[in-house]
Amino acid sequence: MSKLSSTRTRSNQSHTRSIRDELEKRAWIQNPKLALRLRNRQADEKRHNISCFESTRRIRSWQDRTLLTIIAVLLLLFVVRTETAIADEQTWGLEMKSDSGVFTELAVNTDIQLDITGLVARVEITQKFTNHGSHWAEGIYRFPLPADAAVDRLRIKVGERLLEGEIQEKEIAKQTYQKARKAGQTATIVEQQRRNQFETRLANIGPGELIEITIGYLQNISYSDFSYHLRLPMTFTPRWEPGHISPPVPGVVTAPVPRLVPAASATGHQLALQARIISTAEFAAIESRYHDVDIRQLENGYTIELLNPDELNDRDFELSWTPALQTQPSTSLTTFNDGESVYAQLMLAPPLADSITPQAREVIFIIDTSGSMEGASLAQAKAALGHALRSLGSDDHFNLLQFNSNTEQLFDQSVPVTQHSIYLAQNFITGLNANGGTEMATALTTALSLPDIPQLMRQVVFITDGAVGNETELLQMVAQDLNNSRMFTVAIGHAPNSWFMRKAAEIGRGSYVHIAKPEEVAEQMNGLWGRIQLPALTDICVEWGDSAEYYPEIIPDLYAGEPLWLLARLPSEPTLIGLCGTLNGMDWTLDINGWDAASSAPGDDNLAKLWARQKIEALEDSLMFGADPELTRLEITGVALDYGLLTRHTSLVAVDKTPRRDTADALARTDIPGLLPPGSSTQLAAYPKTATGWLAQLFLSAFVLLLSSAMLLFSGSRLPMTKHSTT
Amino acid sequence: MLRRHWLLAAVSFTAAVFSFDALWIPVKAELAQHLLERAWLRTLAGEPNAKPWPWADTRAVAVLEVPHLGLREVVLEGSSGRNLAFGPTLVNTRRLEESSDRVLSGHRDTHFNFLKELKTGDLLRLRTATEIRDYRVSWQEAVDSRHQQLVIDNNMDRLTLLTCYPFEAPTAGGPLRWVVTALPES
Repeated sequence: MSKLSSTRTRSNQSHTRSIRDELEKRAWIQNPKLALRLRNRQADEKRHNISCFESTRRIRSWQDRTLLTIIAVLLLLFVVRTETAIADEQTWGLEMKSDSGVFTELAVNTDIQLDITGLVARVEITQKFTNHGSHWAEGIYRFPLPADAAVDRLRIKVGERLLEGEIQEKEIAKQTYQKARKAGQTATIVEQQRRNQFETRLANIGPGELIEITIGYLQNISYSDFSYHLRLPMTFTPRWEPGHISPPVPGVVTAPVPRLVPAASATGHQLALQARIISTAEFAAIESRYHDVDIRQLENGYTIELLNPDELNDRDFELSWTPALQTQPSTSLTTFNDGESVYAQLMLAPPLADSITPQAREVIFIIDTSGSMEGASLAQAKAALGHALRSLGSDDHFNLLQFNSNTEQLFDQSVPVTQHSIYLAQNFITGLNANGGTEMATALTTALSLPDIPQLMRQVVFITDGAVGNETELLQMVAQDLNNSRMFTVAIGHAPNSWFMRKAAEIGRGSYVHIAKPEEVAEQMNGLWGRIQLPALTDICVEWGDSAEYYPEIIPDLYAGEPLWLLARLPSEPTLIGLCGTLNGMDWTLDINGWDAASSAPGDDNLAKLWARQKIEALEDSLMFGADPELTRLEITGVALDYGLLTRHTSLVAVDKTPRRDTADALARTDIPGLLPPGSSTQLAAYPKTATGWLAQLFLSAFVLLLSSAMLLFSGSRLPMTKHSTT
Repeated sequence: MLRRHWLLAAVSFTAAVFSFDALWIPVKAELAQHLLERAWLRTLAGEPNAKPWPWADTRAVAVLEVPHLGLREVVLEGSSGRNLAFGPTLVNTRRLEESSDRVLSGHRDTHFNFLKELKTGDLLRLRTATEIRDYRVSWQEAVDSRHQQLVIDNNMDRLTLLTCYPFEAPTAGGPLRWVVTALPES
């Protein structure tokens, strides 16, 4: 009220004053004596006016402020509403991700060079980034590498210049890269995101330019059944993997899942590959499992090239070669002396299958019948179990356990294989239903505490999808209670917890197979059975000498047809390495003389790097057994920096010193997708937007409505009074 | 004086419109389900393209039931923003009958609000025109839609329910999704 009346008063006053001013002005011109009086009066009035005006503003402001606030809230509501409406219509897609509103088109082609010497492959992957757009670009590309690769090199080729990359601690590498990226220098960084997932970022690729990045790594060749094998992963299989972060922990960023597109809708992704096998031996066969290749014999070996020049990198590359003479690799020792330490690799040759007499065993099957095994998984598990029962020998003993929330065992103690016991087991299997929780620990304890049968090796075959939350605890149990038993894990279904299953088998000195589809049951179970039946050399121990650091720490059994690799770091050249074990149920020993060792050429530090890679893996595993994460991180970083290896905590980074992009020019960022494997039955879709936000909108608008109507009523009731006061 | 009154009146009016607009969302979601029930009956009677209302560009393809919550919702074909306003929708682009890996999505604050109450092992029943299938919740997790694509793999037999996450977020449009995976009961 006061506000309204004061405004009126002021306007009246000013009106009166202007007439009076005019009169007084005239009077002043006629009589200068009046001037002083007038000036005093004017100053007085001015002072009065100011105070009047100020109080008016103060009074006006709280009401206006409220009004402004509610209008602002209303506007906010409007914005939120529109945003939701837009979000509804948008389909998800990251075709182009740009941080400066400029879009560009980037393509990546891949060249692979493989050099195979003995049992190690040196692989160089060259990613060629081409910028087809008219703006400066940054490309992000995710690609797979074998999980056991020792990644140690990065090179970048800008025009004619070659720049070597270096290993830096992850965060420092990131900063190095970001700084160079901002400054307009061409820079690249390679990071490890998951065990087999890596990411390249390449910044400042000029319009129309081609920049090549070469990533180098070492990989062990595998050997089985008289042939050598090498597999290079090329793309990812889209798989629905249940996460371990649910609900997600704020601040914890999970590695982005690679984006995949069908080949038809992608540019680039062409693959060129050349392999060289350095060997003086003749090969009976060289085969590429998924690609057509051209093979040529040279003086010192073979070269293998892809036949199709337009090959796409949408499927894995697998090469296997078989020496003409069916000689198996013999047990051998290779060393490398770097002046400080000696790195030794001991290859333990596999015994021939006919030199092994299968031993009678006690096999305990554990089958998971928890709710998550429901449906196809249980059907596959039952099929696998049926297959296993049929493969049992007449001297074997067996038992069968099922578990969900409770554990149930078929026999009190393991029984010999007879028609009757097999019949009972088959009935037991038929009656299995999936239901309830996953109490794996009780099942394990029960199985491992069954009474021993003298002279028989105990093998535990665990069939499950591994959907457990207490992996660490279970792995510790396996480590502590397994004693002399062996643990074999059979993972069932499309998305088993494969890490857990693989580790359990590693600790249990057994092996791990994965059955994804019903068609695979026979093949996978036969493979597993081959190994279970013929563990040639068991309980292996190696005496490396004092202060040796060796990996793997738990030495697996040696199976027919497959050699074992052991790596150690020793303080000095080995003189004698003592091996012991059990062969065909008898004690077995072997001494290897240090002077029989073949030495790596000076500068060929492959052995040191392979050893360091194993050490890092062992450190990563130690996390699962309660190692301190921060200490482990520091330790891994230390080893990685010493040996120049890319790990989860260290990255390779390369920077061109000369800035090329004018920092005023925009840099467009593109997330380059990988290719979907051909013939994959999967369809990739966007996550729909699934929230309306109506509740928040209702609250806000109701609040505004309440406030504004209250104000309307409040000032409305005073309106007649103010009118009255002025009239 | 009058100017402020007009302004206040305008604000009140707009706020009222917004309130009704907000309220209309759950009301529409509820009302549409009644109309959809009728369309569903026509689907069951063998009508191949039973539109819930004459101008609709979608059809009722299934009914999702959660017995222990006493819940029943008619599922629409096509996961567009418009369809989501009326009911849970089928994300698959293939027809439901031809898909074994079925993905349904719904608004977290209307039809799929119940997802927050689901527990592992809960029974979900999906009625299609030709069959009735029972599924049990096998796992639940939150995913980040910026980093993950939705994988539909018809080699698999499962039912997936999707909605936005967190359930109580004040605004719509966040990147997180809540994913409930259920496997068929044999």
